[in-house]
Amino acid sequence: MIEFQNIGKSYDGVMAVDNLNLHIAQGELVVFIGPSGSGKSTALKMINRMIDHDRGHILLEGREIDSFDVRELRRRMGYAIQSVGLFPHWTVARNIATVPQLLGWPRERIHQRVCELLTLFGMAPAQFLQRLPHQLSGGQQQRVGVARALAADPAVLLMDEPFGALDPVTRATLQLELKRVHQSSGKTIVLVTHDIDEALLLADRIVLLNHGQVVQVATPLALLSNPADDFVLDFVGRADLGIKLLSLKPVAPLVCRAPAPPGSPTLANTASLREAVATLAVHGASVLSIVNLQQEVVGSLHAADVFSPATPSHG
Amino acid sequence: MRWQAHPVLAVCTTLGLWAAWALPVARLAPNRLLSGEPVFLSALLPGWAGWMVLPLIVLVFSPTQAPAPIPTVSAPGGLMDRWHPVTTLLLMAALLAGLFWLVGRYAQQVTFTESRLARTSLGAGFWSLLALAWLASLDAVQHLTRSAVLRHALMGGVALPFVTLLMLGVGHDLSILKEYANRDDVFWTAVRRHLQIVAVATLPSVLLALPLAWACSRFTRLRQAVFPLLNIIQTIPSIALFGLFMAPLAWLALRFPALSQAGISGVGLAPAVLALVLYSLLPITRSALAGLDQVPEATQTAARAMGMSAGQIFWRVELPLALPVLLPGLRTAVVQTIGLAAVTALVGAGGLGSLMFDGLFSAANDLVLLGVLPIVLLAMLVDALFKAAISFTRPATVLDGAPPVAQLADAGRYTA
Amino acid sequence: MMSTWRRNFLLAAGVTVLLGSSWMAQAQTAAPLRVGSKIDTEGKLLGNLIVLALEAQGLKVDNKVSLGNTKVVRTALVAGEIDIYPEYTGNGAFMLGDEGNKAWKDLRAGYELVKKLDLERNHIVWLEPANANNTWAIAVRKDVASANQLRTLDDLAKFAAGAGPFKLAASAEFMERPDGLPAFTAAYGLKLRPDQTLVLAGGDTAATLRAAAEKTSGVNAAMAYGTDGPVAALSLVIMQDPKGAQPVYAPAPLVREDVLKRHPVIATVLAPIFKSLDTETLQQLNARIQLEGIDARKVAGDYLRSKGFIK
Repeated sequence: MIEFQNIGKSYDGVMAVDNLNLHIAQGELVVFIGPSGSGKSTALKMINRMIDHDRGHILLEGREIDSFDVRELRRRMGYAIQSVGLFPHWTVARNIATVPQLLGWPRERIHQRVCELLTLFGMAPAQFLQRLPHQLSGGQQQRVGVARALAADPAVLLMDEPFGALDPVTRATLQLELKRVHQSSGKTIVLVTHDIDEALLLADRIVLLNHGQVVQVATPLALLSNPADDFVLDFVGRADLGIKLLSLKPVAPLVCRAPAPPGSPTLANTASLREAVATLAVHGASVLSIVNLQQEVVGSLHAADVFSPATPSHG
Repeated sequence: MRWQAHPVLAVCTTLGLWAAWALPVARLAPNRLLSGEPVFLSALLPGWAGWMVLPLIVLVFSPTQAPAPIPTVSAPGGLMDRWHPVTTLLLMAALLAGLFWLVGRYAQQVTFTESRLARTSLGAGFWSLLALAWLASLDAVQHLTRSAVLRHALMGGVALPFVTLLMLGVGHDLSILKEYANRDDVFWTAVRRHLQIVAVATLPSVLLALPLAWACSRFTRLRQAVFPLLNIIQTIPSIALFGLFMAPLAWLALRFPALSQAGISGVGLAPAVLALVLYSLLPITRSALAGLDQVPEATQTAARAMGMSAGQIFWRVELPLALPVLLPGLRTAVVQTIGLAAVTALVGAGGLGSLMFDGLFSAANDLVLLGVLPIVLLAMLVDALFKAAISFTRPATVLDGAPPVAQLADAGRYTA
Repeated sequence: MMSTWRRNFLLAAGVTVLLGSSWMAQAQTAAPLRVGSKIDTEGKLLGNLIVLALEAQGLKVDNKVSLGNTKVVRTALVAGEIDIYPEYTGNGAFMLGDEGNKAWKDLRAGYELVKKLDLERNHIVWLEPANANNTWAIAVRKDVASANQLRTLDDLAKFAAGAGPFKLAASAEFMERPDGLPAFTAAYGLKLRPDQTLVLAGGDTAATLRAAAEKTSGVNAAMAYGTDGPVAALSLVIMQDPKGAQPVYAPAPLVREDVLKRHPVIATVLAPIFKSLDTETLQQLNARIQLEGIDARKVAGDYLRSKGFIK
């Protein structure tokens, strides 16, 4: 979908991005991550030509992005930023409708799309359509910002630290919403963040950058299991490595059908092993009762199975 | 409830009482050229009229609720809470109308007792009382509503009885109205001409200033070069600038007869408009630039990233967001132009200034006033219209059901 | 929502229409006659008389009455910025040189002289003059005049040089022009110290007369014109000029020769009007403007109608 070929960009002799080669497949959620000054934002902004690359090529669906009319290119990509940048003098509806209006969509279609997106992000259209940006909370503003980016149904969504300015609770909620949107829409998403946990949660693949160069490109699991060097190890959090690995593994494979003894603490079947370990430790239990979304018991999880590499001991 | 004196009303009342006693409310002159003898309010009022001051004193010292100077828009305040400012407004309206009626009646009486050439002018006392009543009314409307439109409407209401009397012909024997009657067609031509000068000067100024401000917002070096130049232009005395343009324009008109056909010459509209455009450039450019500067960077980035062209970004995003800062600057420029346009009469541009100078040169003070008062009223009217427009560019107030966070953010945001 | 281009076009069109209509209002089409005048009361009166008379003949007239002072208006005529304006025969002495010539002291002789000179040198035609003398004069407060027995400029000269407090309000033009105060100084020895004069802007005597009438800044005498309206009404007395220090200033219309050739009717129309204006008539008309405050154009129109010159 998007291809970086030998991309380079320098400012005043310093290489902000050095020899970046990357292929992003359609429908992938790729996260650019790294310390400050690693070039992750620069790399992202080169995709929609907010920053022009000095060397190399960027291809969108096989075509050089330089060959597109820049405005046309940008209208084909959604862009969401940390400070959101909603238009203060326009209502929520008008904000979201920005690109569709630029593309000349008919009014009914725009209205339908706006309501659809608001509903998708859990904001009742009747309540929010005519609100002005300053009447929204931070989380609501960012939701509208992302909705605006998605309005024209672009193939690619670019996000530059979109949740960085939000409080942890809202951040977590929005991260999950984004994951859900990605899974249901199948869009190609390129996201920049400095938060490793966010990357591990959302990414199909993580691109770790340092001083403009790619250090490792891998799935979250691979990154944690086989860090390329000490820098990667430090970056993902040397001490938390195991816990982070656990958070990537679901409980489902380890659940056995036999019900747990009564009085056992419960855990959702969508939880990760990390949550299972935490629940076991907090309650000092050795068995958990696993329930589904409707709170019906579907099985049990034994501590022994969590801590042993073998298959479930009980059937 | 506690007793407290209303400060503004107290000051206005004190000054007003002094003015009514010490300053003449009218002047009687044997003819149009001389200044005339003072006529005091005490001479026009019967003895018992002194007691009419009492309601005013009562208002000044009335009980009032604990300080809540500016009611919130949604506050329930009914008529009972607002009786004080409402009464003040009614009293001021009556005062203005009554004063005018008294002086008008005196002027009428004078036409029977004095020679045909005798003139009654409005005196310093009248103008002082007018100004003080206006101030007291301004204070009262502040306590009644926050809406700029409503405030101006209420002030208009205070002036209404006065204006009605004027329309009915009360006071047509006053000197200033005789001057008007003697040249009413000239007057209205002058008013139209004055408005024409202001319009023809303001429009090109805006058309020049907006691109200039846009360019300055892009290129810092241009900003540093442009503003010192505009500042210098602003300091050139107006008559000098009009005079400076006369010779070159006359030469141009001679060289290119086509220009002369189009109406450009060394005297008249051309030098006036040219100079006025230059004077307006500074306030408009400065406020346009300040407006563009305060557009949030994130908004501009987002607009660019969404594929808007530079023109679309300017017209749809930057300019609307710059308006709350641009409009006050434009207001300054237009009010300034209304005043300066008076001086253009010296270069033959006509307008209300020509009446003013006519009066100055023929030593007829009321003719000068006939030229000046409309200019002042025009400036006040334009100012009010702009204030109303500016209040419309502010974002809407909090809607019901908005989350508390948003409401808190709004609390500090809206001043009148 | 209107597309950007359409809105921009409408905006530009609107602006153009606004600007264009403003200029149109100013635009001149088939070379109308431009009538100017000086900015004093009589200038406005005479200018409006000319404007109304020519308009009644069906000629297109551009009203530039009240253009400026003598120099500005004269320069405009010579430069071709205006076509006609009313001037005084006596002024010819100083505009065209030859001040010493005794002909200026006589109305007819002075007129013929200035007519000849101006036509030769500047191709400007002096049309028939009025039988009035709008000469410069000094008016003194009645109380001061009777207390000190001041009747002529001779008396005044002695009074000013002596003990009596004397202050004259006058325009800069009067103070400087050779046919103004200097002429009185030459004929009567009237010398004024700087503290005995108050110089006012503009040439309109209404301001100077008013200053004397109200004793502003100690003024008790004022520059006046022979045809001034308000002198008597303001309790002032004009000092007589037995030695004839002043040239005769008879008002007459001046017109550019080329313009007159194109419209010879100008001469025939204006001649009887100016002939009908004598000193007393002018004083009355000026009084209507200055004392009663009626607009000069209206006074001119009323006069022309009353005499049957226009309908």
